[in-house]
Amino acid sequence: MAKTMIEFQHVKKDFGNHSVIKDISFEVQGGEIFVLVGTSGSGKTTTLKMINQLFVQTEGDILFNGKKIKDYNLRELRLNVGYVLQQIALFPTMTVEQNIALIPEMKHFKKEDIKRRIDQLLGDVDLDPEKYRNRHPSDLSGGEQQRIGILRAIASEPPVVLFDEPFSALDPLVRNQLQDLVLKLHQKLKNTIVFVTHDMDEALKLGDRIGVMNDGKLLQVATPKEIAQNPENAFVENFFSATVGKNLYKTPIEKIIRTGFEISEPHGTEPIFEINAKDTLEKAFAAMAEVEILKVVDEDKSTVSWVDRASLFRYLSETKH
Amino acid sequence: MRALIQTFAEQKGELGQALLQHIGISVLSLLIAILIAMPLAIWATHHRKVAELLLQVTGVLQTIPSLALLGLLIPLVGIGSVPAVIALVIYALLPIFQSTYVGITEIDPSLEEAADAFGMRRSQKLFRVELPTAMPVIISGIRTGLVLIIGTATLAALIGAGGLGNFILLGINRNDPQLILVGAISSALLAIILSALISVVQRLSIKKMLITLAVLVIGAAGISITRLVMPKTETITIAGKLGAEPDILINMYKDLIEQESPRTKVVLKQNFGETTFLFNALKSNKIDIYPEFTGTVLETLVKKAPTQKTSAHQTYLDAQRLLKQQFQMDYLQPMKYQNTNALVVKKDFAKKNDLKTISDLKNIENQLKGGMTLEFIHRKDGWVGIKKAYELDFPVRSMQASLRYSAIKNGQINVADAYSTDSQIKQLNLTTLKDDQHVFPPYQGAPLMKTSFANKHPQVVKALNRLAGKISESEMQEMNYEVNVQKKSADVVAYQYLVKKGLLKGDGK
Repeated sequence: MAKTMIEFQHVKKDFGNHSVIKDISFEVQGGEIFVLVGTSGSGKTTTLKMINQLFVQTEGDILFNGKKIKDYNLRELRLNVGYVLQQIALFPTMTVEQNIALIPEMKHFKKEDIKRRIDQLLGDVDLDPEKYRNRHPSDLSGGEQQRIGILRAIASEPPVVLFDEPFSALDPLVRNQLQDLVLKLHQKLKNTIVFVTHDMDEALKLGDRIGVMNDGKLLQVATPKEIAQNPENAFVENFFSATVGKNLYKTPIEKIIRTGFEISEPHGTEPIFEINAKDTLEKAFAAMAEVEILKVVDEDKSTVSWVDRASLFRYLSETKH
Repeated sequence: MRALIQTFAEQKGELGQALLQHIGISVLSLLIAILIAMPLAIWATHHRKVAELLLQVTGVLQTIPSLALLGLLIPLVGIGSVPAVIALVIYALLPIFQSTYVGITEIDPSLEEAADAFGMRRSQKLFRVELPTAMPVIISGIRTGLVLIIGTATLAALIGAGGLGNFILLGINRNDPQLILVGAISSALLAIILSALISVVQRLSIKKMLITLAVLVIGAAGISITRLVMPKTETITIAGKLGAEPDILINMYKDLIEQESPRTKVVLKQNFGETTFLFNALKSNKIDIYPEFTGTVLETLVKKAPTQKTSAHQTYLDAQRLLKQQFQMDYLQPMKYQNTNALVVKKDFAKKNDLKTISDLKNIENQLKGGMTLEFIHRKDGWVGIKKAYELDFPVRSMQASLRYSAIKNGQINVADAYSTDSQIKQLNLTTLKDDQHVFPPYQGAPLMKTSFANKHPQVVKALNRLAGKISESEMQEMNYEVNVQKKSADVVAYQYLVKKGLLKGDGK
């Protein structure tokens, strides 16, 4: 259904004599969130930066929208690929408004359109336009800065947006909020996102599909569920299982569902407890002391999935010893 | 303090003019330096190896002493504002280049990466990201350059570019600390005010900054073009050496010429420099006339076979003939007084040691400490000749003209060279020692100009010749005293003398 937006064909990248990317091939589908996850030095950021050609591959081809990336006018390509940086890198001499307006201006959007869009975007990320429009980046908190960083990248609605470990410097609470924000904006804009992170939990939460990288190689490209249920090798398995024991009581139920530790709709008549997908295991444990099966619902109270004691225990037993 | 305020008030008119000249030279130099150094530095940020080289070159340029640099430029571009501006530009290059280069290269690399990733053109990146981010650093470099320029520009007065340095030079010449302070304080204030103005500019956006810069450049260009294009009324430029006496003389020239030919505009350049400097200025048509002494002509300006002592009149005739032959210059009739070199001592010192002639110095040779001008020490008709003719040998230090008078007054030295018309001889109670071996040639003052100029301006020659044989030594000493000590202005003293002697019709000035 969705067409291929980005395709890597046997891409290699050397820095001097050092081979950083060793022959990787994968596809990113239009409209999906594709997460590249790996430890530092695995080559995930290098891979990302080849998409907007901040790095040029040593060998192999990258196709963007079906056309070889080297046949694109570099400027045209970059104007259509949003970019969110780990260092945030808002331009310090520009106000919030000027930062967001930058790319739309370069693409010659109408002035009044830009203005309207900025107000709307600031509203989308819960920042009051009146209050924030004329502030400078140095007046903002880290979380606020990266919200603006995201808005700057999406303001001209590019079909593809690249995120380079955008939340790694932020505290867990803010990181969580911004992840939700990315999902919300993605739903609204239906853009294609390539997201780089070293945090497997972040990958599991955001990714429609996840590419696990290690030492310049792509080990497995799969949905969160497949990664958890059918890891291709020990590295991928460990990468996932290491997340299970981490902040166990704070783990959201939705992670259990996304990684495939759910059950199909039960037929029995036993009492069932309802729990929100955003709720944590802590709450689930309390509920499951009373009932066998939990119905997981989303914010609108519509049913998302089901878990029972057995499936939860299966999840818990994944943890690395 | 009151004296200082009074000096400020007295010099109001000249101060305004000097201030304008100073600002003109400084701002023009700064603009040129910015226009050279900034684009160069921006280019260099993409050529790091060349940048290192350029940093070193501009660094070396800055270590050249400013006085030497000005001197080196004179043979190449002459005198006046041009060499001054060139020198000042050279000094301001380093801080502006360095700050622009460092400001841009030290921008957080993630900002550069963001700019690239967003598809900015190189110019967009430069004007929207790099320059605004680096601007505080660049501005601080420009301010450093400006302060440097305003300070160094005081030296421009040495090569006839005018400005506040004139007050300082004049102050040193007349040994008048108030005048020095007027020059120094004004230039310091100027640096502070302009520096503050730049920090106001800093708050503007790049766009407004460029507009400001463009307006300034167009303004500066406009002024210089209108100056070039403007129909020239007949203008004659007369210059004089440093000091009160030349100042009085050229004011007399001006009065006489303007009386003779009222439509001629005479521009005076007082305190324009030393002998060779003025002579070169005359040769290269930078000035039209200056008063020169017969002895100086023979000793320093023309080539001639060594001659023996002659009469004052013969000296004049020789000078006139040789100037005509060698430089195609006309040397008009000299005035009466002789401003010859002399050695002076304090009156009580002379009495105590029974000194009347220079020969008498031999007896007390081991007590003597001399202070003389650099020029005098090296001249054959100066200390070199004296030493030989009188077989004298005592330590002599080179001193600026007015400083040697303070030195002899305070007893740091007990023999000094002097000009026989110097007002200080009267003021400080000094005695002139008789040159019994006739080493000092006769010095008579007369207007010097190119023959071509004299032919084209017979009325000027006629006017100046009215001074021939006029002004006695004591009259000149008196006039020098009025200017140096009584602080009368040279044009008033000149005017009063001319009217008193019936050379000028008084109009109640």
